[in-house]
Amino acid sequence: MMKFPALKRGVVVFIILAVLTAIEFYLGLNEVPSILLWAVALIKMLLVLQFFMHIGRVINPEKGGHE
Amino acid sequence: MSSINQTHIHYQQKMTINRLGLWLFFASDAFMFGGLLISRFYLLGNKNLGLDQTLGLIVTSILLISSFFMNRAEVMVSQGNKRGFITSLVITIVLGVTFLIGVVGLEWGIAHFGPGDGAEGAVFYMMTGMHAFHVLTGIIFLLLVLRNGLNDKYTPESHYAVEASANYWHFIDVVWIIYYPALYLMGTL
Repeated sequence: MMKFPALKRGVVVFIILAVLTAIEFYLGLNEVPSILLWAVALIKMLLVLQFFMHIGRVINPEKGGHE
Repeated sequence: MSSINQTHIHYQQKMTINRLGLWLFFASDAFMFGGLLISRFYLLGNKNLGLDQTLGLIVTSILLISSFFMNRAEVMVSQGNKRGFITSLVITIVLGVTFLIGVVGLEWGIAHFGPGDGAEGAVFYMMTGMHAFHVLTGIIFLLLVLRNGLNDKYTPESHYAVEASANYWHFIDVVWIIYYPALYLMGTL
């Protein structure tokens, strides 16, 4: 878990997602193998699941919130 | 054990069950979206749909920014910042409506095939249509949360509806994270 305050953490995750989307767009325009696009999409998905959806809260309510 | 402690434990247990139920719903919905995704590759293979790349990037960015503001709204309510919560929520709703206009109003209008034009049309309109339907229900969900928020129904300690609506919104974003490359970027023309 990143040691950032909740708001700052949201900004950092958003910037990473934006950069990955730009990379994805560039890769798509250059018709690279699909596996690379899948990899970028998977990383983006995991970031949202972990830091925006707090998937850890489902298992352990004391973890993964906005503390 | 004091009654306050018992109430707190009861609330925590209720939250655990609520969260589990919500994630089970996400899992069941993911199967439906997954089925549509598989149909895209089964019917069209490595073919690119030739959609407007600029518009695709714009609507994707709008949804991504909306997810950021939804996360901000949830953080704000957990910190007791009502003004920040309401502002972020309104921005999320506006961005959601903008996304809908972008996909249903613009992309559907300029796509070079209709819903009845073979596999391309079936795949494209089913995937974007089902996703847009979820965005629409998400917006309705957020409007209800906004109304309750304006009526001071949420506190930093008790705001599960905000958490659930935020998770639903992020789930919609996750689906688009997968759909965007599958519809716009993958394959060859």
